[in-house]
Amino acid sequence: MNQTVEQVNQVIQQRYKAGFYTDIESDRVRAGLDEEIVAMISAKKNEPAWLLEWRLKAFHHWQTMREPNWAHLKVPAIDFQKIHYYAAPKQKNRPKSLDEVDPKLLETFDKLGVPLHERARLAGVAVDAVFDSVSVGTTFQKELKEAGVIFCSFSEAVQEHPELVREYLGSVVPFTDNYFAALNSAVFSDGSFVYIPAGTRCPMELSTYFRINARDTGQFERTLIIAEPGSEVSYLEGCTAPMRDENQLHAAVVELVARKKAKIKYSTVQNWYPGDENGKGGIYNFVTKRGDCREDDARISWTQVETGSAITWKYPSCILRGDRSAGEFYSVALTHNHQQADTGTKMIHLGKDTTSKIISKGISAGKSNNSYRGLVRIAKRAANARNYTQCDSLLIGKTCGAHTFPYIESANPTAKVEHEATTSRIGEDQLFYCRARGLDEEDAVAMIVDGFCKEVFKELPMEFAVEAKALLEISLEGAVG
Amino acid sequence: MSALIDSLAIEARLPADDHVEVRRRAHKMLLKHGFPDIKTEAWKYTSLRVLEKRAFSDHLPGSNVLPELPFAATVLHFDNGLLNANDLNLPDGVTLEPQSGAQLDAVDHGDRAGAFGWLNLARFEQAWQLRIEGQLEQPLVLVISTAEDFHGDVHPRLAIELAAGAKAQIIEVHGDCGEGLVNIVQDIVLEQSANLHHLISRQSAQSAWIQRSHVKVAGDADYRFHTLDRGGRLTRHDLAVHLTASGAHAEIDGTVLVNDRQHVDFHTAIDHEVGHTNSRESFRILADGSGVGVFNGRIHIQRGADDSHSDLNTANLLLSEAARINAKPELEIYAEEVTASHGATIGQLEDQALFYLRSRGIPADQASALLKQGFAAAPFENIESGPVRDWLLGVLNNVI
Repeated sequence: MNQTVEQVNQVIQQRYKAGFYTDIESDRVRAGLDEEIVAMISAKKNEPAWLLEWRLKAFHHWQTMREPNWAHLKVPAIDFQKIHYYAAPKQKNRPKSLDEVDPKLLETFDKLGVPLHERARLAGVAVDAVFDSVSVGTTFQKELKEAGVIFCSFSEAVQEHPELVREYLGSVVPFTDNYFAALNSAVFSDGSFVYIPAGTRCPMELSTYFRINARDTGQFERTLIIAEPGSEVSYLEGCTAPMRDENQLHAAVVELVARKKAKIKYSTVQNWYPGDENGKGGIYNFVTKRGDCREDDARISWTQVETGSAITWKYPSCILRGDRSAGEFYSVALTHNHQQADTGTKMIHLGKDTTSKIISKGISAGKSNNSYRGLVRIAKRAANARNYTQCDSLLIGKTCGAHTFPYIESANPTAKVEHEATTSRIGEDQLFYCRARGLDEEDAVAMIVDGFCKEVFKELPMEFAVEAKALLEISLEGAVG
Repeated sequence: MSALIDSLAIEARLPADDHVEVRRRAHKMLLKHGFPDIKTEAWKYTSLRVLEKRAFSDHLPGSNVLPELPFAATVLHFDNGLLNANDLNLPDGVTLEPQSGAQLDAVDHGDRAGAFGWLNLARFEQAWQLRIEGQLEQPLVLVISTAEDFHGDVHPRLAIELAAGAKAQIIEVHGDCGEGLVNIVQDIVLEQSANLHHLISRQSAQSAWIQRSHVKVAGDADYRFHTLDRGGRLTRHDLAVHLTASGAHAEIDGTVLVNDRQHVDFHTAIDHEVGHTNSRESFRILADGSGVGVFNGRIHIQRGADDSHSDLNTANLLLSEAARINAKPELEIYAEEVTASHGATIGQLEDQALFYLRSRGIPADQASALLKQGFAAAPFENIESGPVRDWLLGVLNNVI
């Protein structure tokens, strides 16, 4: 009770450390969305005609669609004509190496703890950094090239490897898939492209860091990962944005293609600005992520830690097309204050002997609402398919909500599907036990939450696991007492 | 969807009674919202195509014979959906009268998902109010049956009220031989400390059988529901139970059997409006042939409803190549001091169990029938009345 106002303010401000803004000149197209804007984005990226045509088809399709309203979310009306669909930090020419990148940009990523420079060598992680609409630099290009791995920005891939992009773009998430995927297909600006050749195990972890900086802009990136037969890759993704009073839109599409015996592991720590404690500002995060186990024995694993965004609408999915292919989904979603999350996964079993596992942990605090929504579909020909789903929700406080909406569809009599879900709160007895051993209430809650999420954290690469744990603790500050 | 509205000729052939305005309002609401389609979340797995293709006729069907029951009971027969209220011999404490205009004026069936509720209100011929006081010794049996030449649409509407402290057992026996539409709406109210065991045994043929049951449970009252559904061309039951005061308790147990060209969709919702309320639910589907079984079970615990406890379990057997099962157990929790959980499985008969039985000389088809019977009977083991339980298990064993 003897905390001063300053101390309280300090704690509140500390809660979102990535909330600063970098004052950098940017090149931005006018607000609004029409054919001209789509063409302008395409021209800025010097894209081939087929890609512009694809974008325009997506745009025309988007115009015929309605915003989805089935999620357990209250989404204020979004004025799509007020958004700037392209913003890029001004650079005279594209830098040839990281040494030529504007030091202000490097400083930004440094502040965020993203290892772009010498620290990168120590961390041993190759990073592609995306600032507003464009990629500003990719590390370890040379080392990866030696292994035959292509890891570059999406725009670069369009120029350097158009045949690969053309073959795979939209093959997992077609532009007709949903409202936000159609929007993204029309206006996507940049993102990462990964190609792992046959039989190659990617020599290091690959990582993309997304940063929204400019005001009134949306971010629409597109990631495409192709794993050829017998290859293996682990990919990490992180995101932040400045603290602003107005909401910003983020609508990304991620496509993964795993061919025979290939393995893709995709981990996300999503920490977009969640808005303040009164629900003002924050990112609207509408993302379509899908992996296609296209051939036999392929394996795709999604791990996500979702702590940010005012609204999250996200369902990383696996299409288990090849026989004996496997999909996994591990998720921790935490909502606080006025955040809303409707997130989960889809496991579509098409091949024989396919397996999937879903572990979802939802934590709601403050006045937030947190929903798990997942689909497990066993198609008619998916003999001996197997699914196990566990989703647990934890409630902290009396004003939040925790919800579970699993859809289970089975059309094969040899398949086995199991689903279990529980909702509970942190028990008084657990808290009492911890406090009796000298922990204060906040530490006790953090410890219990950490234990609750352990099954998911152990799936994360180590650097991310540490970050995720710290992020949860910060996000939960002020949730009790 | 307007084809269905046209083919039902909604304004034709209705009695000129005091409820003309009520029907007109319902008709307007139905036109405003329209019938649900598969884009309507609550009707995602159930299409109305069967109904749309159907021509309904005004022809008066023949009357039906009452089924024989192995226990003493008071029977109300809704012959082709209409109750002949003359010569009724109701026990003491039971009254039956038409619903009042004020009651019907207050009805709200919501949006498109409740279209059949509005249709019922726009088309009903009789709306009954059944009130029970005291403790009934014999079960009250409501028989709703249709004849082979039934090609029309009927919309039975029934309100059931149990006075404070009342105790009753209401058994509904639904039998269909026709090819029309039976669209039932029930409003059930349990006052303080009332106790109702509500059981439905249903077998439908080609008719679409649609039922909405809305149950309100007061403090310390107890609502137990059992259903055995033996399939039908298109069956849909929405059962919503509201626990409105401290001490209210509800239990739902059911088994659905579907076979060739049958579709049964069961939607249950238990709403814990206040704290210190409890519920439990267990639901099973056995899908064979080209049958489709749908189960959607929702538990809703409202803000402030602390110390509520709820558990839902659904186990399902998929028995053939062409059958399908869709299950959607949902939790929507806004209170902190609660426990809520659900479990759902879809699988098949255990090979090991089959092998065990066969190794003891039981032929394969008998062995699988035994296992299926055991699986399907589990939800009925907690029926308190012995004769009623035995009767229901007999009905079940006849099908499998």
